[in-house]
Amino acid sequence: MYGVGGGGGGFNASSTASGRRRNQEEDEEDDEEETGDGRVLEAWERAYADDRSWEALQEDESGLLRPIDTKNLVHSQYRRRLLLRSAAAAVRIQKGLIRYLYIVIDLSRAASEMDYRPSRMAVVAKCAEAFIREFFDQNPLSHVGLVTIKDGISHRLTDIGGSPESQIKALMGKLECSGDSSLQNALELIHGYLNQIPSYGHKEVLILYSALNTCDPGDVMETVEKCKKSKIRCSVIGLAAEIFICKHLCEETGGSYTVALDESHFKELLLEHAPPPPAIAEYAAANLIKMGFPQRGAEDLISICSCHKKIKSGAEGYICPRCKVNVCELPTECRTCGLTLVSSPHLARSYHHLFPVAPFDEVTFKLGQKGGQNCYGCQQSLINSDSQSNLHVRCPKCNQHFCFDCDIYIHESLHNCPGCESQRSFSS
Amino acid sequence: MWFDLDGLPVCFPYDAIYPEQHEYMGELKRALDARGHALLEMPTGTGKTAALISLITSYALANPSRPLRLFYCTRTVHEMEKTLAELRLLFSHLPPADACRLLALGLSSRKNLCVHPQVSASGAVDTGCRRLTASWVCEKAAYDRESATPLCDYFETFDAAARKGDLALYIQPGVYTLADLRSLGRERRICPYFLARHMVKHANVVVYSYQYLLDPRVASIVSSEMQKDCVVVFDEVHNIDNVCIEALSVSIRKQTIQGAKGNLRHISQQIDRFKATDASRLNAEYRRLVDGLAQRGNLPISDAWLANLALPDDILKEAVPGNIRKAEHFLTVLWRLVRNLDERVDTENVVNERPVSFATSIYSLAGIETTTLRFLYDRLQSLLLTLEITDTDEFMHIQKICDFATLIGTYKRGFSIIIEPYDDRMPDIRDPVIQLSCHDASLAIQPVFNRFQTVVITSGTLSPIDLYPRLLNFNPVISRSFTMSLTRDCICPMVLTRGSDQLPVSTKFDMRSDPGVVRNYGRLLLEMASAVPDGIVCFFVSYSYMDGIVSSWNDMGILQEIMQHKLVFIETPDVVETTLALDNYRKACDCGRGAVFFSVARGKVVEGIDFNRHYGRLVIMFGVPFQYTLSKILRARLEYLRETSQIQRQAAQCVGRVIRSKADYGMMIFADKRYSRHDKRSKLPGWIRSHLHDAHLNLSTDMALHTAREFLRRMAQPYDKAGSSGQTEENLQDKARDAMEM
Repeated sequence: MYGVGGGGGGFNASSTASGRRRNQEEDEEDDEEETGDGRVLEAWERAYADDRSWEALQEDESGLLRPIDTKNLVHSQYRRRLLLRSAAAAVRIQKGLIRYLYIVIDLSRAASEMDYRPSRMAVVAKCAEAFIREFFDQNPLSHVGLVTIKDGISHRLTDIGGSPESQIKALMGKLECSGDSSLQNALELIHGYLNQIPSYGHKEVLILYSALNTCDPGDVMETVEKCKKSKIRCSVIGLAAEIFICKHLCEETGGSYTVALDESHFKELLLEHAPPPPAIAEYAAANLIKMGFPQRGAEDLISICSCHKKIKSGAEGYICPRCKVNVCELPTECRTCGLTLVSSPHLARSYHHLFPVAPFDEVTFKLGQKGGQNCYGCQQSLINSDSQSNLHVRCPKCNQHFCFDCDIYIHESLHNCPGCESQRSFSS
Repeated sequence: MWFDLDGLPVCFPYDAIYPEQHEYMGELKRALDARGHALLEMPTGTGKTAALISLITSYALANPSRPLRLFYCTRTVHEMEKTLAELRLLFSHLPPADACRLLALGLSSRKNLCVHPQVSASGAVDTGCRRLTASWVCEKAAYDRESATPLCDYFETFDAAARKGDLALYIQPGVYTLADLRSLGRERRICPYFLARHMVKHANVVVYSYQYLLDPRVASIVSSEMQKDCVVVFDEVHNIDNVCIEALSVSIRKQTIQGAKGNLRHISQQIDRFKATDASRLNAEYRRLVDGLAQRGNLPISDAWLANLALPDDILKEAVPGNIRKAEHFLTVLWRLVRNLDERVDTENVVNERPVSFATSIYSLAGIETTTLRFLYDRLQSLLLTLEITDTDEFMHIQKICDFATLIGTYKRGFSIIIEPYDDRMPDIRDPVIQLSCHDASLAIQPVFNRFQTVVITSGTLSPIDLYPRLLNFNPVISRSFTMSLTRDCICPMVLTRGSDQLPVSTKFDMRSDPGVVRNYGRLLLEMASAVPDGIVCFFVSYSYMDGIVSSWNDMGILQEIMQHKLVFIETPDVVETTLALDNYRKACDCGRGAVFFSVARGKVVEGIDFNRHYGRLVIMFGVPFQYTLSKILRARLEYLRETSQIQRQAAQCVGRVIRSKADYGMMIFADKRYSRHDKRSKLPGWIRSHLHDAHLNLSTDMALHTAREFLRRMAQPYDKAGSSGQTEENLQDKARDAMEM
């Protein structure tokens, strides 16, 4: 794919674009610091209650306070995650690529607590939005639905579906909290919905739990057993502390249970659920799935779409190859004939989960070393005036050196090592 | 794994050993080598039991010339099962040649072991069992086959096998838990209780409740078979002195006296009946008593139910005084005694007497000599056996009175008799009671120390460690306290001195009823209930204080707010009620509803119950639990001991129940301004003090809340289970090699 010259250039461009995208998040935080004249406020000048300026400091060995080196911290966190994931991937594990995930958002009284800024609820919603986008990015063949718990009862916010936008819109419109929380009601509701899912789909529940207790109408243990029997993988991310019943639920159903320390940790934990989990052993038997690859309709074709019951021109939708009905978005399941409709790029994008790029080795820069002066990806110099960060990474296969930004970009977005790819085109 | 400990090959059933376990084993080995007693304190959850049994078993295997037997005394049946599970794991790691030589079993009461379908289902197992297995029942059945006297098949199999001497065929070497014994009993149709009791003689390791050794009434049946070269281990015995004292304390209420009168009437009827039908039996008993008590030993095994108290040997050799040898005479003596006690108990003011003066007054008023008093208990046993009475529970009252009389007659020091017309807590209700309280804990345990070469006393909280040898009157060769090496900061003690309004909180007498203090305590609990998941345990200083504060919280509406977060359970002096409350508390913690348990620091009911894992994420100690110094008994005891230093032990025990393993975590809040003083704090055990950071010494409610939230989040993070503190076999070998080179 990549030409020697042109390909490299193209990569450069996209890398800076991605850098910009990532920086945007940091900028959001930085924005507050910048006042009208562009001067950055000192830590003591900020409003302390909103900003929690003390959290940006850490104590070093000699007891001095230092600002936290965010870049290195982010990178080290990311590497830990990557290594964890690749350790699991080293043995070829079958992965569930077609996932049916219900996200449960706890909107009980506890969600209004202010220990996350501005409130737990707002943080959860913000991170859930990012998660839904990331999820569809990584799992184009999967489906998501939203469920909320409020006043002790659970309520289905959105039907399980494949479009991120509609899910996010539904979530943002419903942000208020009150009452108790009930794990059992939520699980019962989801159990009812997920039972109808075809057997090749992986049923998952991700619970974002603010409360520290659950007021259930019956025995929650029975519900846990039921979920276990119907092979629903339940994972919980707690916002406050470890709760026994959640731990029990996750252990029984094979999910993961984590508790967030703060907002950034919460986001990190949430995004860990985006890549597909290993398939449950009972499903390991391979079976064939019938899929349709619909084509975009012709410009002049006017028809009623099956999802919104609205008149649409053919160019806005896709035509099911079996029953010729019009659908608005992919991936989905045909309303009429029940065929799974995907597009081939979706399939291709899921492919990288099976063959991930090997994690890069961390190397420290040695003076006088040849060839490692610049990052192979973005051509930035790896030698920094700042003596702390002459640490960088190297691909174990092609031995090219990369900077931290490119490392993250390659593993998170590109899923191909530019060094290895260009070598291959040399040899061929 | 196998490693070498000062020349002793030790088999340890785990892959890694904590350094404190290694040290613990070293000290234990030294005590065994020196054939002396040991007192070892090591925090709970560090694998005391595993270290103990693996060292002693390895020691026994390495020295086949000195057949070492282990008697492991636990507090509850549950702990017994845990110990046996640990033993099973150890045995599975031993080489088969060694393992097949060892027999380990648990021993419990008939209630826990009975497999007879009807008897085990009924409530009164002991009585039911005796009704089927007493020697005269068996004789009658053998004599008169047609009358179809009901017998226990399981016991008959045992009896037949015991007579043939082939009981060993029934039980193979290995580890037998109570459940194993029961299933073995069902399978081979043999009584597990009697089989276990018989096999105690041959077993290498016996695990049982420490009542079997300490309570002299039970001890002599079961434990008399032990030889000198046994190792006796008392595990989790932070309140061993109380157990010893209780074993020798008797309290007699009005109901007891009424019941005793009823018993006496029943007995006299029985005597009349026997005189009419079978006078020879009474005569035989009379002749036996003339010969002396020393010959009592040859009674059949199933008849010996409650043997004598801890009587000095010389008494056993004395003959029973003439005036109580005949059944009728004995009965009149008992009547006089009961009537005398009945008069004594009707007093208007509190009386505190020494046993000697009490015995003298009995002599002058009822005409019973001290030597006669001494024999009453044994004489009663003998009479009950002669009269073929199986229902022990019914005759409990008269037994209690004889017990009382025997103790008064036997001991001149270390006891006092307190007669109180009413309970201090409820001065309006007349509830007279005669209490014979023992002050000297060493009386009950002294025979144990004298009889066995090595007695190991071990617990999570024994501090101050120098107090125990004095209380129990023994000389340990080793007495040490170990600290826990934790993989992370899993306990978070905090001292809370102020409420969120910055006013000090305390249960000091002048402050405790202040509404501000009560409200601050309430707010503290409320805030914590909203921030801590699952279970919270609150300890109060006394029942009356708890009742008061809970009702004022109810009036302030704080209790209702707490109920929004968690259910509330309260300990009461009633055992059944509290057990139910505890059960429901556990359920509420399990199902995620969350619960708060209100308990009293010196509450009898909750003593010995662990609030580990999610059952106690937080313990709040409201106030400083002093010993209740207004209690007459305690005052008398303090006078005897001239010793006051055990006050703070209670606080440590209350909070110490949160942690039971290294993976566990929990918080402790000491809510009283007095804890910030050094003299109070220094009495807490070292492992708590070492985690008490200076920053947590003087907190207010909101600061404590913040700390709690942070702590809980931190503890919920995954951590390295293997732990850096564990050492593997190679590490230990390296260490040994280093030591050699040095």
